Amino acid sequence: MTTTIVLQQAINGVVFGSLYVLVALGLTLIYGVLVQINFAHADFVTLGAFAAYFFMHLIGAGYILSIGVAFLVGAALGWLINASIFTPLRRKGNELLPLIATIGVSVMMQNLMLAWFGPIPYAFETQYSSQVIRFAGIFVSWQNIIIIAVSSVTIALLYAFMKFTFLGKALRAVSQDRETAGLMGINPNYLIMLTFVIASALAGMAGAMLAPVLVLTPFAGTSVIVKAFAIVIIGGFGNVEGTILAGLIVGLIESYTTQFLDPGLIDIVVFALLLLMLAIKPTGLIAERREENV
Amino acid sequence: MTVTFRALVAGVAAVGFLAASQATYAQDKTIKIGALFPMSGPGSYFGAQDKQGVELALEQLNKDGVNGYKFVVQYEDSSCAPLPATQAAKRLIEQFKPDVIIGEECSDATLAVMPIVEQAKVPLLNAGSSSIKVTEPGNPWTFRIMPNEVMQGVNLAENAYKRINARNAVLLFENTNAGIGNGQVFKENFTRLGGKVLAEIGFGRDVNDFTAIATRIAGLGKIDVIPTYTLEGQGLKITQALAQAGITKGGGGDAIQIGTIWLPFGFEQKAGKAALGYIRIVQFDPTDTRNVVKDFITTFKAKYNADPTHLNAHAYDQIMLIADVVKRGGKDPQSIRDGLAATKNYSGVTGSVEFDKTNQNTKMDTVHYMETKPDMSWTSLKWN
Repeated sequence: MTTTIVLQQAINGVVFGSLYVLVALGLTLIYGVLVQINFAHADFVTLGAFAAYFFMHLIGAGYILSIGVAFLVGAALGWLINASIFTPLRRKGNELLPLIATIGVSVMMQNLMLAWFGPIPYAFETQYSSQVIRFAGIFVSWQNIIIIAVSSVTIALLYAFMKFTFLGKALRAVSQDRETAGLMGINPNYLIMLTFVIASALAGMAGAMLAPVLVLTPFAGTSVIVKAFAIVIIGGFGNVEGTILAGLIVGLIESYTTQFLDPGLIDIVVFALLLLMLAIKPTGLIAERREENV
Repeated sequence: MTVTFRALVAGVAAVGFLAASQATYAQDKTIKIGALFPMSGPGSYFGAQDKQGVELALEQLNKDGVNGYKFVVQYEDSSCAPLPATQAAKRLIEQFKPDVIIGEECSDATLAVMPIVEQAKVPLLNAGSSSIKVTEPGNPWTFRIMPNEVMQGVNLAENAYKRINARNAVLLFENTNAGIGNGQVFKENFTRLGGKVLAEIGFGRDVNDFTAIATRIAGLGKIDVIPTYTLEGQGLKITQALAQAGITKGGGGDAIQIGTIWLPFGFEQKAGKAALGYIRIVQFDPTDTRNVVKDFITTFKAKYNADPTHLNAHAYDQIMLIADVVKRGGKDPQSIRDGLAATKNYSGVTGSVEFDKTNQNTKMDTVHYMETKPDMSWTSLKWN
């Protein structure tokens, strides 16, 4: 009985942890390259969710395809907003302006979505939500299996991209020392754009997978973004491996806190861990190497 | 020529004076209603549906007016939370200077607004907050037409025990005044009758994943009823998670989800077959055969091409009750307050209204039970 529950909660934790990782990876990528927090990231998640919803319900497409569409919508929007808002502000040389602009973009996107989609929660049901596999007291829906599978493949591909491709290595070089990377012939502006596109695409994809799980309203993304920030800090700001590890840990903490303590204590436990991490190991679980120019 | 010109000027001046007098008269003969509705955040579905009910009532009332008065409404976003609600109430009172205020929906927001309306001496007519604290001890300026958490909770616990034959319950509630209060009232009355509460599980409005909660409930043994107190969005996810875990009827289990006035009509279609067997109190019964209900449904469908929800209905009732008070002589905050207090057997769409000394509506015909059927439609249980 107890083993079954422990195992079941582990599955629950991994499912939600995977979603947190996808959201947090975008944040950590942008921070790693730009040393900037993107407060509008949550709204890219929400827009991805709505893109998938309308692609499914208006066109009648399948859920898996709609995840791909949300990925592309996120990527396109990331490119558009970076090119039209963040890049011109960054050129002015004041690092505070793009940071404030992310707050402005967030408020604008939330209100635009509120005007377009209305405040009433959408029911985003897929054919996989109600299909449940039951085995030896354990249950898992096909929806959750898809979440774990798509998240794992995406995370693995991103990891491989960062570790083994030229562009990935260039991104890491820019995140470690932007000026020296520029002297080596790397175009930082191009890589910043690429970072925004990848981060926003991941957010859009996360939205498509979160939508059937969370309550789909124009404010849906904000409900996970605070946890995503905590995960980025616990994992080590800017570090991909640390973010993956921290995301899974937070997912498991949520499940086991619900089981053995109280769901009302989840935030207390997660943010106590965050404070503990800041006090004991402020660089996070895995510290990102970064050169300080003096 | 000069005389004619002077006469013309005098005539124009007289007409202008009369027009100005009429304008002043028309301006004076307006009842200003401030509306504190959640327009953003997780409770924003309340505001959207409330506004529809208000607009329908205004359209009907302003055709001919009431006692020479027309009605104007100013909406403010109170966000279902104390801080934005108090800011919105202050904005309304300082800038719009309303004769009466309607709203909020969420108890925490209403409780925060009550001292402000009391200080400003503007009556607040509430139709959506269930916390007992709204009327006990309450204040002379706040009135509530919906049944409070005790009226609903006592009734729900008795029906769960006697009609559903439930003996074991698990409470699920959001950690707000209304959520906790509703849960406690059920617990006290259900255990008093001999029932047992196996677990009380509270959660914040930011909780997304209810699979973990459903897993915990699945490990608690035999459960008959799961009283659930949460907003629509989280309510959907809870219902689906309970079915996925095989706990409720919708997932092949035995437990029945029950609840008080939190969820609008249309919830069952969104939740899908997971909602099978869900029994809940609604504030408005579309199968009610009274003319006021039939007329409301007809005019609502004509205006919005949709079936009305209980939120549409109770917002409509708030405006219509104010109009009734104006008909009885209400014209400013004090007389509207006194008129509300003197209301006897007012028949609204959601039921009848008559306030006790705490300004709580005492009529139980506002409590309607419905059960979700296998085809995701619902049936009225006629338990009251």
